[in-house]
Amino acid sequence: MKIESQQRRTLLKMLGAGCACCVCGSANARLLKYPLHATEIGSKTWAVHGESSHFNLENGGNIVNVGFVEVPDGVVVIDTGPSKRYGQALLALIEKTVPGKPILRVYNTHHHPDHCFGNQVFDPTLIAAPQGVIDNINEEGNAFADNMYRLVGDWMRGTAPVAPTVVLDAATEEVGGRQFSLFYLSGHTSADFVVRDDTTGILFSGDLAFLYRAPTTPHADIATWQAAIDSLGALDRDLILPGHGPSDSRGESLAQTSDYLAWLEDTLAGAVDSGLTMNEAMQLPIPDGFASLNVVREEFERSVVHLYPDLEDQLMPLIDVTR
Amino acid sequence: MIHSKRIRSTTSRYISRLLLAGFMLSATVASAVIHASTPADPFGSVMWKTMVDTYFTGGDVVFDQRVIVSAPKSAENQMHVPITVDATGLENVKQIVAVADLNPIQHILTVRPEQALSFIGFRLKLQQSSPIHVGVQTEDGTWHMGGALIDAAGGGCTAPAAAHSVSNWMKTLGETRALVRRDSKGDARMTIRMRHPMDTGLASGIPVFYMNKMVVKDDAGGVVAELDLFEPVSENPTITLKPSVGNESSVLKVSTRDTEGNEFAFPLSVPAVLAQ
Ligand SMILES: [Zn+2]
Repeated sequence: MKIESQQRRTLLKMLGAGCACCVCGSANARLLKYPLHATEIGSKTWAVHGESSHFNLENGGNIVNVGFVEVPDGVVVIDTGPSKRYGQALLALIEKTVPGKPILRVYNTHHHPDHCFGNQVFDPTLIAAPQGVIDNINEEGNAFADNMYRLVGDWMRGTAPVAPTVVLDAATEEVGGRQFSLFYLSGHTSADFVVRDDTTGILFSGDLAFLYRAPTTPHADIATWQAAIDSLGALDRDLILPGHGPSDSRGESLAQTSDYLAWLEDTLAGAVDSGLTMNEAMQLPIPDGFASLNVVREEFERSVVHLYPDLEDQLMPLIDVTR
Repeated sequence: MIHSKRIRSTTSRYISRLLLAGFMLSATVASAVIHASTPADPFGSVMWKTMVDTYFTGGDVVFDQRVIVSAPKSAENQMHVPITVDATGLENVKQIVAVADLNPIQHILTVRPEQALSFIGFRLKLQQSSPIHVGVQTEDGTWHMGGALIDAAGGGCTAPAAAHSVSNWMKTLGETRALVRRDSKGDARMTIRMRHPMDTGLASGIPVFYMNKMVVKDDAGGVVAELDLFEPVSENPTITLKPSVGNESSVLKVSTRDTEGNEFAFPLSVPAVLAQ
């Protein structure tokens, strides 16, 4: 009886919290506004930093870094945010920051919804990415959209995935009087695209680099990702704008992402080898070095689900079966 | 048919409750009425009464903190939602039954741990956000309940298995990976992962086809654990059990069967507990 009432109290608490959110969300439906702010991270270069949390009904999916650069003849945008509404707010922020300048190019670093679901508000003939990113958006965009509506609700109103129309494969591109170097990598997803402004040396790494926020792994191949980090580490650059977290002048985001991924892979391989269930693995301790990363426990739990099956297929011994 | 076990008439339930009450020498009309009532569900399931009437019959139903159900709050991949049940705090366990209340097919699995700890790890397909209920029935007939609420986006049970995107998947049917580890004295931990599409029959154009039986026996042929698996168990069933095999080395014998009558069998060596 005592147990029963305890459980009921816990549940009521959960329901209470859930309801409060729903009421908030719908009552403020017409007032939803992304508090976007442009931070100058280099000469004529701005970062729009998102929150270091998860998609939720309060942040509307604004957890991502977007960048824009004023070039001699216009503006170049790197990633577009999680929703149409975000895209509109981003457009307004760009217009306020560099008034009267036309947008000449929009790059998508990869197909995750927080990075490209603002595409809708831009001229599709200006949105560019490697073929792999385009294919991924076409294949998974609709499923991501369903999921985002569920996670952040009304912030998503009117949002639909839009794939880039300009296929990139060159090593460099000149946009409006400025040269950008283009790097075709993978590991965070099957197609990760990195852009460097060759004038300022600012590297827009997309989600190959995270800083002070635990990396996400839903489409990750850890070994390939580590190789991509190595190649980014070898590039000439002055500053990195990671996919999530503050801008980074010391390469800390690359080191931190690499260290975390190495720990993650080792830990999960050890868990599989010990025969732990996924749920048991989710409860393993997170070492001090990573414990302060934002949302690390949540991301670690998600990574168990993402990475365990492949590790099981690699590490568990094959048994002779009679049939 | 395994399915016939799932449904028992209300009458037989009522009679067994009366018998139980009589045995306890405290039977009064009042206590019979109390026994017949079902406790409120802490997970607030709209299907709770139906779950009890269908799957948790033949004894009292009580929520019990000794039934520890570990599950993620939200399903990262609805095709593979991990659940671990630890009821090792309960004595005389007869069977463990896991159901997903709001799945189109609710019964996930039943385990009878004969010479094994009351522990199981498995993964399930979840069609939508749902309460999971796990009933652990002890020898006195009582169902000790635990559970979890899992948030999900939709599509787990009616989506085709990943195997169907590979053309020659029948060739790897029954391919097995397994390992046995020692993690406490006298007991072992075994994890088995077998290739099987576990088709629910709900994905369009793909008939029902799943592994429905797994038996683990010891060296002497005694049953260690017996499992009835159902459609919601994830593709490539991955099951963790804790056989109580003593400290010596031994060989477990595992056999499985699917709904097409395919049978797979393999031995699993259990290492001895190392002398400290
Ligand atoms: Zn990403």
